[in-house]
Amino acid sequence: MSETLEKLLGDPWDPANPMNHAAVVAADERQEMFAEGERLLDEYGLNAEFVPAGLGGRLTGVDRLVRVMRSVWRRDPALGLGYGASSFIASVNVWAAGDDGQRRAFADLMLANRKIASVYHELAHGNDFARAEFAATPGPGGRLLLNGRKEVVTNLRRADSLVVFARTSAEEGSRSHSQLFVHKADLPPDRMTYLPRFPSAGMRGVQLGGVVFDDCPIPDGSVLGTPGRGIETALRSFQLTRTALPSMMAGVVDTGLRATLRFATARTLYGRNVAAIPQVRSTLAEVYADLLACDAFGTVAARALHLLPGEASVYASLVKYTVSKQLIDAMDRLSLVLGAHFYIRQGTYAVFQKLLRDLGVIGFGHAARVACLATVLPQIPQLARRSWLIAGDPPADLFRIGADLPPLDFAALRPSAAGHESLSSAVLADAASPGEPGEVAALAGLFADELVLLKRDAAALRPRDLGVDARPEALGVAARYAAVLAASSCLNVWRAGGGDPGWVVAALTRLAGRLGRGSGRLPEAVARRLFDELLDRHGENRGFDLAGLPLPG
Amino acid sequence: MDLDTLLGDPADPATLFSYARCAELDRREEFPEEICRELDRLGLPAGYVPAEYGGTLVDYPRLLDLIRTVARRDLTVAVGHAKSYLGSVSVWIAGADAQAKAVAADVIAGVPASWGLTERGHGSDLLAGEVRATRVPGGYRVTGEKWLINNATRGSLLSLLVRTDPDGGPRGFSLLLIDKRRLAGADYTCLPKVPTHGIRGADISGIALHGALVPESALIGGEGAGLEVVLKALQLTRTICAGLSLGAADQAIRQAEGFTAERRLYGRLLGEMPHVRRTLGEAHAARFVAEAVTTAAARGIHALPAEMSVISAVTKAFVPARVDELIFACGELLGTRAFLTEVHDHGVFQKLARDHRVVAIFDGNSSVNENALINQFPALARGYLSGPPDRPGLARLLDLGSAPGRPGHRGLVLASRGGCGLVQGLPDAVAGLSAPGAGRTRPPGHDLKAVEAPARELLDHCDDLHAALATCAPGPRDVPAEAFALAQRYQWCFAGAAVLQLWLANPGWRDRIWLEAALTYVLARLGSDPDRAVFDRLFDETRERA
Repeated sequence: MSETLEKLLGDPWDPANPMNHAAVVAADERQEMFAEGERLLDEYGLNAEFVPAGLGGRLTGVDRLVRVMRSVWRRDPALGLGYGASSFIASVNVWAAGDDGQRRAFADLMLANRKIASVYHELAHGNDFARAEFAATPGPGGRLLLNGRKEVVTNLRRADSLVVFARTSAEEGSRSHSQLFVHKADLPPDRMTYLPRFPSAGMRGVQLGGVVFDDCPIPDGSVLGTPGRGIETALRSFQLTRTALPSMMAGVVDTGLRATLRFATARTLYGRNVAAIPQVRSTLAEVYADLLACDAFGTVAARALHLLPGEASVYASLVKYTVSKQLIDAMDRLSLVLGAHFYIRQGTYAVFQKLLRDLGVIGFGHAARVACLATVLPQIPQLARRSWLIAGDPPADLFRIGADLPPLDFAALRPSAAGHESLSSAVLADAASPGEPGEVAALAGLFADELVLLKRDAAALRPRDLGVDARPEALGVAARYAAVLAASSCLNVWRAGGGDPGWVVAALTRLAGRLGRGSGRLPEAVARRLFDELLDRHGENRGFDLAGLPLPG
Repeated sequence: MDLDTLLGDPADPATLFSYARCAELDRREEFPEEICRELDRLGLPAGYVPAEYGGTLVDYPRLLDLIRTVARRDLTVAVGHAKSYLGSVSVWIAGADAQAKAVAADVIAGVPASWGLTERGHGSDLLAGEVRATRVPGGYRVTGEKWLINNATRGSLLSLLVRTDPDGGPRGFSLLLIDKRRLAGADYTCLPKVPTHGIRGADISGIALHGALVPESALIGGEGAGLEVVLKALQLTRTICAGLSLGAADQAIRQAEGFTAERRLYGRLLGEMPHVRRTLGEAHAARFVAEAVTTAAARGIHALPAEMSVISAVTKAFVPARVDELIFACGELLGTRAFLTEVHDHGVFQKLARDHRVVAIFDGNSSVNENALINQFPALARGYLSGPPDRPGLARLLDLGSAPGRPGHRGLVLASRGGCGLVQGLPDAVAGLSAPGAGRTRPPGHDLKAVEAPARELLDHCDDLHAALATCAPGPRDVPAEAFALAQRYQWCFAGAAVLQLWLANPGWRDRIWLEAALTYVLARLGSDPDRAVFDRLFDETRERA
């Protein structure tokens, strides 16, 4: 569990802890992975988190996976990506499309602490992987031969095995690619040339590699699933990664907020504690509210993978779109509180600038934000007609944080939701609890109004708005819809859990600001409540997310 | 020849001041010594020195252009070189004539100057400064440490803020011009270079003084005048910072345009996709608005020095923040290439994105500048009712065809008594749009009809804002967060007022679409919901010109 892992990682501010922030920063300065950290994650067996329980791993629920991984990201995003997420991204293709033998082999490698690279990226094509050129075509003997280059691939060089996305047919369209699961040991070394490492501004320790294959034969049986279905496999399986990765990365801002609070409470300016300055308190309270909103949306979307797998294609891309920007903005705002101390790469707060650089990947890594909107856009007219403003009645467990979940069924994930989506309409007034506090009801009403407008705007979308030539306003419909989904997540998580509505009022106020409804600033009284809670949590050393679990130190 | 031509093609690695070289220096965290020497050779330092002392600084818009030109290539160089202006400006404001001439000669000769304000533990809180100067026969003994100082180690001249009254207070500090060449080795220690997030090659360090004896003639202004001189000097340097931001904006847009014009995705050129056109069109509008604010500020130094306490605070809070947003938007278009340091154009983009963040921090961050505005709310609210306090000055500021007059180095004041003429001129400017005969003399494509409605909307926002300012008079402590929100709205109103009045005062300056896009950009942030399609048209317009 995440508590065990946190205990192993220890207090990040403790100068005697080899896993402290200073050590993480030092590894970044050397452009190396944090070796102590990798050793410790080996010891903990982090890879097991990515392996379904049925195959001997600990993957039971995506929400739980996110919680555990958040601890890693909270400590060092380079470990989060370079030790964790990279293999996780490779794994989902195998769970979704692999046969029993392939799944077993993948699980065994993971459980033996090996690394597997997800080999998708070609610099020339970026997110447009339908045009990926890297090819696997039958050679004279009938065996597939790999040809072409892959670039900016995490762990390419040190991975034992690869999940490769390759063109298996020269035809245009979405039935021309396949994923291959290959082991380096099976490849003739003279057919494979590594490219020099790609240095980067953030994630400096992560080894981003490249490779060129030249008529490289691979064993029979390397294809995952039905040949030619690679794009569909990606669209289905990446629902897991698009949902989980941004949510994990909230751990980065958790540490960013903690560092800033530490700074604000320790520093005196103008004869007073920085944390006593009202504007600083508002900023910190707003960032905290943003973190809770990200966690609510991310967690509901993660639970939806289990409970509403047919709808997950919608939530996954929109979580990625929304949460990524909320986290980047939050970190930028914190940097203003730190001022010059954000800018220096030494001393107590040096970790902040590293986190800020590392977090950059959230915007473009795995899928660009606008590509996420474009993925959902074609579904929107149908979703609007069939589901919006029509009581969706999602299962109550969707919003019960921590409640048990049915096992993940990869076969139930669909490239499209076919118009069925139940989260947005759950933003409507809850008939079962008419006594909702006025401030909550007013904010909920505002998102309900937005959904009415969205339904109108969705009906007016023209066919060309659903493809590459979509007007920005059409992409805007998807973006606004994402805000409504996020709001509904917050609202219903609060409805399910009860308690002080302070956080939900704050989270909804912030999301409303993103829609241009109000400034997004918290009213003084709300900010004060939230800031006090934040200080309490900081004092008690608990996480800045909905679970608020204790941290070491 | 202009500076950019003299500096040679930055894309050619054989050029001294090239992207490739700057990238390499950044990797090695090495100061761009040779490039700065080249700038010296080309006479840039004389541009930091007013003409009356033998330099070539007669016109701040021109100085801002020079800094922008350098910043466009590389912010580390711009920050490292322009520091000599910051290090000497206090002397232009308050120094004795002989002192100014001596400093001028040094600066023109390329002697680096530096400005020592901040200390470990106090940051922007200058009144808490602990470096003390004790009177002794013939001068002062100076003891203490300044930290996070740009060019503290390289600089030979150092304008240092010191505590001359042990009790401190607004008159308890003085500025001393310290010449390190005249100190004994035991008098001071330079502190190690501080590794930074961006501008990695810059000399961000510090200096510790160990009872150094400094002659009385080193005083800039009188004893006790230090804080006042610094606050006035900051009005100039905060304006200068906008030149750094505009240079970064130029390069960010250049990177994004260059990439999207060649990149094919989904069977299209990226630059043909509607959301890309929108993003780039808005980036152009943002840069244009930032330029208008900067132009107003630079000309304000000449035409309305008594209002610079407002104008410079707006400029410093507004321009770097908008450019950080612009950089993010351009970075999203570049995607992976905004993150990798060697794949695309020598990693220029990721470098400028890191480098530029320092601009929002130094010489007072947005909170400091917004605080300065908040303290002036009563004067701004009053002034809005009575119109521009200096109409001829405002007219001179707005008339881009005229020389701006002498720099008002000695006309700066700590707080503008009459408010801000540019904002206070907005009601008249908007009323003038519908006056009989308005726009008759304007060239085709510049008529006024289409801008009347957005201009009125801007005025409505401005009216509402000033009504709110009139009821908001926070004390110096416990400034509520809402006051900062008002200060932010003020910046947007200022920006709208600047762009509208500059456009009206200069027929033929830019086609009307620029004004429409600029007002759209401003109104969207003031809470209106204007039609953003104008950004798409603006993008097309910039393409046709390219």
